This record gives sequence, C-alpha cells and structure tokens, in this order.
Amino acid sequence: MLAKLRRDLPAKLTVTPAVLVALIVFVGCLLWTVYISFTGSRLLPNYEWAAFAQYERLFATARWQIAYSNMFIFGVLFIGICLVLGFLLAVAIDQNIRAEGVFRTVFLYPLSMSFVVTGLAWQWFLNPTLGLQAVVRDLGFEDFVFDWLVRGDRAIYTLVIAAVWQASGLVMAIMLAGLRGIDREIWRATRIDGVHPARVYWHIVLPMLRPMVLTAVVLLAIAVVKSYDLVVAMTRGGPGNASDLPARFVIDHTFERANLGLAAAGAVVMLVTMAAAVVPYLYTEMRRRER
Amino acid sequence: MRKFSCCLATSVAAVALTAGSASAQDLTAEVIHWWTSGGESQAIAVIADEFEARGGTWIDTAIVGGSNARAAVLNRILGGDPPTAMQWNIGIDVIEIAEQGLLNDLSAMADAEGWLDVLPPLIVDHAVIDGDFYAVPLNIHADNWMWYSTEIYDELGLAAPTTWDEFLQQAEVIQEAGYIPLALGGQPWQERILFSSVLVDIGGNDLYRSLFVNHEPSAARDGRLTEVFETFRALGAYVDEGSPGRNWNDATNMVMTGRAAVQIMGDWAKGEFAAAGLVPGEDYGCAISPGNQSSYVLVVDVFTFARTDDADQLAAQEMLAGVMMDPEVQVAFNAIKGSVPARLDAPVGELDMCAQIGAGILADRANHLPTFNMAMSGDLGGSIEDAITQFWNTPSLSAEDGAELIAQTLEQAF
Repeated sequence: MLAKLRRDLPAKLTVTPAVLVALIVFVGCLLWTVYISFTGSRLLPNYEWAAFAQYERLFATARWQIAYSNMFIFGVLFIGICLVLGFLLAVAIDQNIRAEGVFRTVFLYPLSMSFVVTGLAWQWFLNPTLGLQAVVRDLGFEDFVFDWLVRGDRAIYTLVIAAVWQASGLVMAIMLAGLRGIDREIWRATRIDGVHPARVYWHIVLPMLRPMVLTAVVLLAIAVVKSYDLVVAMTRGGPGNASDLPARFVIDHTFERANLGLAAAGAVVMLVTMAAAVVPYLYTEMRRRER
Repeated sequence: MRKFSCCLATSVAAVALTAGSASAQDLTAEVIHWWTSGGESQAIAVIADEFEARGGTWIDTAIVGGSNARAAVLNRILGGDPPTAMQWNIGIDVIEIAEQGLLNDLSAMADAEGWLDVLPPLIVDHAVIDGDFYAVPLNIHADNWMWYSTEIYDELGLAAPTTWDEFLQQAEVIQEAGYIPLALGGQPWQERILFSSVLVDIGGNDLYRSLFVNHEPSAARDGRLTEVFETFRALGAYVDEGSPGRNWNDATNMVMTGRAAVQIMGDWAKGEFAAAGLVPGEDYGCAISPGNQSSYVLVVDVFTFARTDDADQLAAQEMLAGVMMDPEVQVAFNAIKGSVPARLDAPVGELDMCAQIGAGILADRANHLPTFNMAMSGDLGGSIEDAITQFWNTPSLSAEDGAELIAQTLEQAF
C-alpha cells in the first residue's frame, strides 16, 4: 500500500496542478456563470436571487432569437459542408496525384489564419462595392449581383462560406490521415471483385473512418461555439443584427450593455445547447468503441 | 468562463503591478483612457503635460477601444487594483459604479471651486450622485452634426440643407450626378445617430425627452414617431450598397474625398478632417443636422477617481481634477480634440467655426439633450438601438411598426 503510494506520488503530484486548474478555472467558473444567470446582476456581479427572470427576458428578446437560430443554421451548414468537402478533398488527394504536397499545403493553408483575418479578408472580398461584385461588374457584366454580405436574409451564409474555407482543410488533413491508414489489401480485394470505387468509399472506407469523423466533428463544434471573432471581423452581426451569433450577444451584454445576468443566461443556454447536441453523439461513439 | 479566466489573469498581473509600485510615492497618477488615435493622443497629452508641469508623474494606460478600456477598468476594480483615474462617457455606468462605492467623492473641491455653476445642468445631474461629486467632465461632443462636401454642393449649385425634406429633394439631384447622397456606416450606433438627428428635427426636443429621458411608451404611439420613421425610411434609398458594417471614419472619408455628399456623425468626425489638413468652411462644411438648430445631443467624456485611502493617491487625484477643470487647459485640450469645453465659462474664442456653432447652441440650456448612454442604461439604450437597426435593415417594416417597436422596448424598461 505504502509502496504503491510512494511509487505513484510523483505522478500524482505532477497531475495535481492541472487537475486543480481544471476544477477551479473551468468547473468553478462554469458554476459561477450558472449562478450569475439566476441573479439580477448588471454592470458588476450581485448575488440577489432572481430565479428565471433573465431566461424569460432572453427568450423574449428578438435579437437573441435571431442569434440563437443563426447558431443552428451556421453550425449545421458549417459542420456538414466541412465534413463533405474535407472528405472529398482527401479522397481526391488520395488518388496518387502528382504534386500532392502542393495541394495539401494549399488546402491546409487557410487554417494557419485566425478567424479574425479570415473574416476581414472575406469581408473585403464579398463587399459589393469593393470585392467580387465590383470586379465582375468592371469586367463588363453590369448585371452581376452577389450582395449576400449586406442582405439581412443572406449574411449568415457568408459566414458559413468563410468558415468552411478556413476549416475544411483541417478536415481534409484528418481524413487523409485516416485514408492512408486503410489496408491496401482491402482495395485490392474489392478491385478483384469489381466493386465500384464509390461504393467502396461509402460502404467500407467511410465506416472505417468513424474515429476521424468524430475528431473532426468535435473540433468543428468547438469552432461553432467560439465563432465570436469571425462574426465580429466579418459582419459585426450586421446588417442590423441579422448575422448575430450567441457568442457575440453574450460579450455585448457583458461589457457594452452592462447586463451580466442576461449575458450569463445566454452563455448557459449556449452551453446546454452544445452539450445536448454533442454529448449524445460522443456517448454513442465512445460506447461503440468500448464494445 | 473564458471571461472569468481573463479577469483572473489581469488581476494577477494587477497585483504584481501594485507590489512593484508600492514604493513609488507622492503624485503619481495612472490614467486609463481610450484616446489612441493621432489627434486624441495629442489631446490627452495636453492634460498629461500640465499634470507633470505641476509636479506629478503621469502613467499613461491607453487602451484601444472604449469597450475594451471599460472592460479593463472593471477587471482592475474587481481585482482590487483600480487605476488612479479612468475615463467614461458620463451616464448610467458611472452612477452604478459610484453607487457601489468604488469612486472617490470630490464634492469638497467642487464646492470650493464652484464647478456646479459652470457646468451644464445635464452634466451636473449625472456627476452628482446623492449629493457627492464623482465625475470630472473634460469636453462636450454632440451626436447631431452634419458634415458635407462643399465640392459636391458647389458643383451642383446647392446650399446646405436646412430641413430633412430639403435634403431628400437634393438627394435626387446628387444621386443623378453620380454621387452618394448620404455616407452612412451601417453599424447600429451610427444608424442610431442618424435616427436621433431625424428625431430631434421632426419630433423636436420634447419628443426626444419624452422617449429617451422619461421613457414614455405613450409618446411613441401618438403619431409623431411614425413621421420620424417615415423620413428615416426615405433616407434609406440614398445610402450606398456597401454601407452595412462600414466604420464611421470610412464614411467620413467618402465625404472628404468627394464621393459622398453628407454624413451625419458626432463632431469627433472633425478630427478626421483635421488630420487630413482640411479646414472647416473651406474644404468641407459643418453644421448641425438639418432642421432643428436648437438641440445639442451631448456626449461627454469624464474622468472618475477610484476610491482609495492612500494620502498620496488622494493628493494626486485632487491635482489631476484641478488640471482637468482648469478653463485654459480645457480650451487647449478641446482645440485638438474637436469638441467644446465642458465648462461653459471657458474662453472659446480661439476654437474653430464648428466649435463656435456648438458653443453658441450650448449657451441656451434648453437645447441640451442627453445621448443614449447618458439617458439610459446600456441595456435599455442597446435594446432601442436594436429596434432602430432592425427597422433600418428590414425594408418590410412600416413606419408604424417602427414606432411600435420603440414603444414596446420602452414598456419593458429594463
């Protein structure tokens, strides 16, 4: 017993700070935020209990409704398109093409840029008076219109475009690693049987890539939650508040609008929503692996 | 979660700072402000130089962006290491931190020097809380200014518009000539400034006060606000496609370079013109926004002083307040900053023609109106801004819908 303790002690001591930090900073702050969301805190924290008042107001606020539904539009499209595009890119590169390294670098390159830079670059590119639309019109196509960035009903999709551009290279890299790990014998066997490559990818390869998909989904889901910088750099939630996202709503209410309570309620709803979406998926995937 | 860990980090850094500066003594003042652009930092240097000339030591903590600076101040206060003095826009935020007991009261000094008699009552109302004086004002900006391109107006043989209806007629001509009639940065706060300018003209100072000072939903429903929204909507046709998300100074640049005719923006825009070496009245025109020339929607920069018992810090705070309220210093500061001195008795004779117009309107105290963050909590003001921007960016909403949005927001009155 004592010998075991002595043997484990250095290891335990090494991990302790990390565990403490995780407990205090992450769990502690999480609980604090949840508590604040049930108070009437304004500029500074105040611990008077206000029950569900902040939540009632939150869901009655038009801007939150827009931001919240935008999170689903953005999240579903962003994760979906990134997965499909990333997988297709990986498959394309896996065809033993020439100059593979060049393509890999090109597709992975956007990832080296922060969301802020991505947002600014796409803002200029999509601005109707400066970017793509202006250039095409100058080329002589006077009727060309691509003004999604400044249209309230489309601006959220321009965020998806920019985010997909940035992140699909990452998915490609993950998938490519997975593809390279697949036994060449499988390909040989299916070729002898005359199975169409598309079917092989769909029925055999893709199921084998499950862990890669899981990793990609988790990484992309995190990107959805923290997409604050992208929306601030690209549209500032505009036009109006049409492309607002919950993260921006929360930061805005914490500092600009001095309403900590409402901001905390927004943050808690974000957390619960993401947990509701990701936890069941993670749970089933983990159980599958244990079996 | 993230924000808390950042607070933790800053407060750790802050504790380290105090430990370091504990041995430093007498008249050292650390001042947090957000004046970082060229003209702004020259302006604050006037204060710093005078403070040092009187024997103090100035530690300049300039933080880019008002909201970042305010966030830093709150983190420092919560972390137990507030700066000596910090900038705010006067308003509900200042009242809230004063009520939390985080600021020092300067009423002895204010009484001795007779500050309350020389400041606009609107500022006094917000600087004095429960009889104590908490906020030292430096300057007065106003939201409802119009900047126009004399180049375009001369070319088309037009005179500066005196009403919004006149502007709407001119806008047709300007647009046909191939210019953009109205330069607008499509961000909620800039749309709000345009809206306020239309509101004080069509609804008058009364309607502005009933809505945003007294928060009366009934005033939003009596028809006047509908007219305001009608004109506001009509202006939408004369803004260019690239407006959404544009920064205010980019819009100012459009007027400066003769691409757009008019911008409605606070008189901090004058700093942009000045930085480009342009002279008001010659290279560009400045006037109060069309119509009602008897309103000045005040935006006031103040400094507040953190609560402390340290005798050295108290002395430094008192000296700094004295510098900031010196009429000569205020004139020198505002000549660079582009605003008007907060002291109405300061000698403004040497300021430029725009500042002269402003000082003239300020002379009558009935013309003073509070801007949003002075009249309302950030929360309520922000919600009204949300309503305005929702209207502006949703063409399907009618003027009646717009008025109703404002009425409903006021009814919730956070």
